[in-house]
Amino acid sequence: MLSRFDVLRVTTFTKRYGNLTALSDVSFSIRQGEVLGLIGPNGSGKTTLFECLGGVLPADGGALLRGDRPLTSGERVASVFYLPDSIVPWPTEPVRWAIDFTIGFFGGRSEIRGEVVQRLGLEPLLDSPIWTLSKGQRKRALLAIGLLMPQPVLMADEPFEGLDLRQTREVALALRAFAGAGRTMVLSIHQISDAARVCDRFVLLSGGRACGEGTLEELSALAAPRGAASSNLEDIFLALT
Amino acid sequence: MRSPRSAFRWLVNKEWRELVASRSWWVLLVAMGPLVGVSFISAVRTYGEASGLNGTSAGVGEAFSPLIGIWAPTFSACELAAAFLLPFVAIRLVSGDRQSGALKLELQHPMPAFARVGAKALVLAAGWFIAFAAPLAAILLWKSYGGSVYPPELATVAMGHVLNAGLTIALAAAMASLTEHPSTAAILTLGVTVGTWIINFIAAVNGGVWERAAGYTPTAMVAEFQHGLVRLDVTLVALTLIAAGLTFAAIWMRLGMTVRRRAYESIAVGALAAAAIFACAFVTASWDTSESRSNSFSEPEEDALRQIRLPLRIEAHLAPEDPRRFDLEHRAIVKLRRVMPKVQVDYVSATSIGLFEQTSAHYGEIWYDLGGKKVMSRSTTADGVLETIYSLAGISPPIEKDDVFRGHPLAVPPKGAATVFYGIWPAAIVAGLFFARRRRV
Repeated sequence: MLSRFDVLRVTTFTKRYGNLTALSDVSFSIRQGEVLGLIGPNGSGKTTLFECLGGVLPADGGALLRGDRPLTSGERVASVFYLPDSIVPWPTEPVRWAIDFTIGFFGGRSEIRGEVVQRLGLEPLLDSPIWTLSKGQRKRALLAIGLLMPQPVLMADEPFEGLDLRQTREVALALRAFAGAGRTMVLSIHQISDAARVCDRFVLLSGGRACGEGTLEELSALAAPRGAASSNLEDIFLALT
Repeated sequence: MRSPRSAFRWLVNKEWRELVASRSWWVLLVAMGPLVGVSFISAVRTYGEASGLNGTSAGVGEAFSPLIGIWAPTFSACELAAAFLLPFVAIRLVSGDRQSGALKLELQHPMPAFARVGAKALVLAAGWFIAFAAPLAAILLWKSYGGSVYPPELATVAMGHVLNAGLTIALAAAMASLTEHPSTAAILTLGVTVGTWIINFIAAVNGGVWERAAGYTPTAMVAEFQHGLVRLDVTLVALTLIAAGLTFAAIWMRLGMTVRRRAYESIAVGALAAAAIFACAFVTASWDTSESRSNSFSEPEEDALRQIRLPLRIEAHLAPEDPRRFDLEHRAIVKLRRVMPKVQVDYVSATSIGLFEQTSAHYGEIWYDLGGKKVMSRSTTADGVLETIYSLAGISPPIEKDDVFRGHPLAVPPKGAATVFYGIWPAAIVAGLFFARRRRV
């Protein structure tokens, strides 16, 4: 049975590239309004999982369920938005246009436009073409696009990649604020310290398998019998993966 | 989500901005002026000299048609641009989203893939129409010289080049969608273009089925339109290929589908297109829009030929590379097929060049069989063919009317054309580029 807060359930997602299994029966749940961290080292399958869930990469198996019913392709598109890492969309366009396009083409949330721009510090960058932005600036512009999307669940791949410490903290605060307003966030993060700062719950991914799911306390309880040195997320991750 | 109509408008706007931002399109625009200019200036000069300019004997060009003398060479610049420049513009527009990662964002909108490709194709067509301003300038110059313009034949030439551009866009879009990298798409697109040239070459050597297939290659299609001939089968085949190419592009744009499913869908589209092309090959309707009726016999002759109800079969013992066969086909049979769609023409030869068949007793013979009555002739001219058919059918040759095409000689130099195409045109494009860049930021 699903708890009343569960909005979506990812079940038995599998993806193979020839003989290589990138994802193997990955299952977890996504609760409404939470910030869920998908934690794992590079190559653990985080991006592959997001791409499969976002519908831009075919999965070999698995389903996204609401209740016990798999979402149709149309329902998935209306529910989940995947924000990839390391992309430079519409490179010659200024940030202002990208935001307008997000609202115009995707039917984005125009009512939070000002807040998103202000919280992510994009005001001075609005007239800059996207290709001229630094890595951190580009990441903030991408996050603005993601936050403005109309879908209730935002899956952001490495949202803190390229950000300095101050920016990481500011972005984490912004993400928490939007989650507090009811938006569900699923963040793939390879820096465990960043994840601990922002996420409510965690899914630990290693070698394409989900090795644990829960809050810090729940994971700590799981990790204790396996010899976790402390209730620190890094130690928990090492013990469970 | 926004209404599909509003979203589509946003997408078209985005594609337009991408086109304006792409250097390849500006290069195409800049190149179009000089390309059209070289062809137009040379054509006007030749036309003028044949009409009596600079002391050449006047009267030679009296049967000159602007369609053949001016528009075919001038518009041939568009064929060059469509083969070597337009594919890069199309590939840039289709591959750009994949390269930048924008496709992964845009694919998460529920818009059908065909609408996405349609938006790109619409914008590319608009970009091509803007490039068409160069031949349009040539038309205006020609008018300013006092040259004759016959709109139906001009529209036919333009239509041929629009269809050719459509084929290029569809092919390039399909290749760009299929491949990971734009350079691979460019190689494949040019490979297909070269492949069609090879088909034309094989057809010239071997004839038969190859000759029939070569009739549907872009080069052959453009050549017919440049002669003012609109063949419905060729037009339908071109439209089918354009639709198939764009559908193929839409199929491979859906990154979330398995490769196997996309491959099956592509095979199904290919099979449907092949069936449609096969069906189109049986369509015989055609229209001669040339002022000189260069693709038709005279009206009295056509009326006389229409009286013949019996099935006509022609067996020509001529090799594919024999110039007499070319004459027979292009000066007589093409016109005959337009009046008598059911005429059956068979070419018989043991070799491709026919050089060593000359000693054979039957080589060069053209046998006509009308309802069992047979006659042989060796003439490959239109008059000779008609005479044979009339005698076989027992019809007296019709009396020619006086309203024969006399031509539009024009002995003028291409005044001001160099300034327009080599000076004003590039300057206007560079100014346009500067203005577009300033507006963007």
